[in-house]
Amino acid sequence: MLRHRCRARRSQGRRATARETPRARLRLVALAIVLSIGWLAAPRAWATLGQSAESIAADQRHLRGEVRSVAGAGFQMHEIASADGTTVRQYVSPAGTVFGLSWVGPTVPDLAQLLGPHFDEFRAGVSSPVRRHHPVAVRTEHLIIETGGHMRALRGRVYLPDLVPTSVPQAAIQ
Amino acid sequence: MRPLNLLALASVPALLAACGGQTTTGSTSVAATPAGNVQPIQVGSGPANNMVDGLLTSVTICVPNTSDCQTISGIQIDTGSVGLRILSSQVSLTLPRISAANGDPLGNCAAFADLSYAWGPMATADVKMANETAASVPIQLLGTPAFPGAPRLCSQCGTAANSLTSLGANGLLGIGVFRQDCGPACSGSPSSAPAIYFSCPNSTCSVTSVPLQNQLQNPVWLFPQDNNGVLIQLPSVPATGTSTLSGSLIFGIGTRANNALGSARVYMTDGNGELTTTFRGSAYPSYLDTGSDGLFFLDDSTTGLPACPGEDSGYYCPPATVAYTATNTGNNGTLAQVSFSIANAETLFQTGHVAFDNLGGPNSGEFDWGLPFFLGRSTFIGIEEQNSPAGAGPFFAY
Repeated sequence: MLRHRCRARRSQGRRATARETPRARLRLVALAIVLSIGWLAAPRAWATLGQSAESIAADQRHLRGEVRSVAGAGFQMHEIASADGTTVRQYVSPAGTVFGLSWVGPTVPDLAQLLGPHFDEFRAGVSSPVRRHHPVAVRTEHLIIETGGHMRALRGRVYLPDLVPTSVPQAAIQ
Repeated sequence: MRPLNLLALASVPALLAACGGQTTTGSTSVAATPAGNVQPIQVGSGPANNMVDGLLTSVTICVPNTSDCQTISGIQIDTGSVGLRILSSQVSLTLPRISAANGDPLGNCAAFADLSYAWGPMATADVKMANETAASVPIQLLGTPAFPGAPRLCSQCGTAANSLTSLGANGLLGIGVFRQDCGPACSGSPSSAPAIYFSCPNSTCSVTSVPLQNQLQNPVWLFPQDNNGVLIQLPSVPATGTSTLSGSLIFGIGTRANNALGSARVYMTDGNGELTTTFRGSAYPSYLDTGSDGLFFLDDSTTGLPACPGEDSGYYCPPATVAYTATNTGNNGTLAQVSFSIANAETLFQTGHVAFDNLGGPNSGEFDWGLPFFLGRSTFIGIEEQNSPAGAGPFFAY
């Protein structure tokens, strides 16, 4: 478990590695406060799984619609109801990292955009030579992938278990 | 790999020869149908012999308004989708294609819960089952060679259900609670249409909108009679499953003596075609889906049921069979308990059987009442806006 955690953090790059020291943690608390203020001022900021919330606003172009931001217990949830009927939620830690996302609607949203560098791992994880005929529940090196639903209401969630804040139950991602 | 798949490898050539899909087999012949609205169905491993709890039937398609017809067997019945989709390799007829509003070829993309996708052009056919005919029905042809490949947004999740092996069937008969696969969301402005219908002037396809009548249709609501829904009747099976199972797909609800609601409780669905299932004090969205090969609910941390190892991780593998009770509630307030059991999936697969009522797996955040739910039950599926003795659909009743 711990080894996984280290590997996951290394893969997240410098920002994640920086979190290993207490001083960095202090800096991140400050950053989180700044980000929280940022969210209030610009709630349309969007992000990519495993990356920082302020780093990517480009996703927003792909997810036209009304944005709603909700403060959860130990996380911030950004929800966008896209014009095409699919609702996407992204879950951001107090440190400003997107640790999970979910969707429900008539189509699967653009996951290359939302998963960013994790998209290839996602593809490899869900790849199957034949139809499964049932919901997907797959764990890859860094991701937990779960999909279900039916025509007109497809559901799914993808998250980085090693980046979910310890105070946040995984069931919060829904 | 399940033992079933190993068996499949040995028997694939014989099955391919036997399942050309061109002719009606004796047991599923329309002429042998006992009543005008009764379509024989079977639970099995499908024409590719690579699934369990597959609900199958034969469908006759014709060039519209002609007697130029063919019957295709091994079509999977899916109450979790809408529309008839057939492998183009099984279709010998030349069916007229449907164009987008701008005259370009029209393609459809279906995304399924298992992250597979069905892509191909839209065509028109008369659709016949039992003694019922739906005229000029928009259908989808899968794996059509001379059609542009699936757009990125369609194929992003990976598994193309465009061959006998990958689809596991010669086609899908989607007869869920809706009239169309997409409905009003796809018939409005193209700028807000979901990535389901595509206009394909060349190798590059772009999302478009399509009027309701040109979308994929639930063929049942286009029958001139018995068109308000279906009744699926399947016998029960022993705890170790069975190798064959036959039942009936009966068209209409309360339209004849053989499809009366009787004592069935009616559960109206919400706008997504869903009920609510309450389990251990928590409520989850739920649906009845013959296209799912088990009962899929929650996860091991909620149920305490371990997932199977390796490639079977989509199923539960408890050391001993576990019995559960959940409560289904309709939008109209109807509620009643459902009892079900989950057995060890690998133990079930080792029997070599293909019809199980106690196969299940994880499904975080919802209840997918798959094919096992339908075994030993008479289940009605009421189509949206179609009147019945229970009122207009969408509803489930059992």
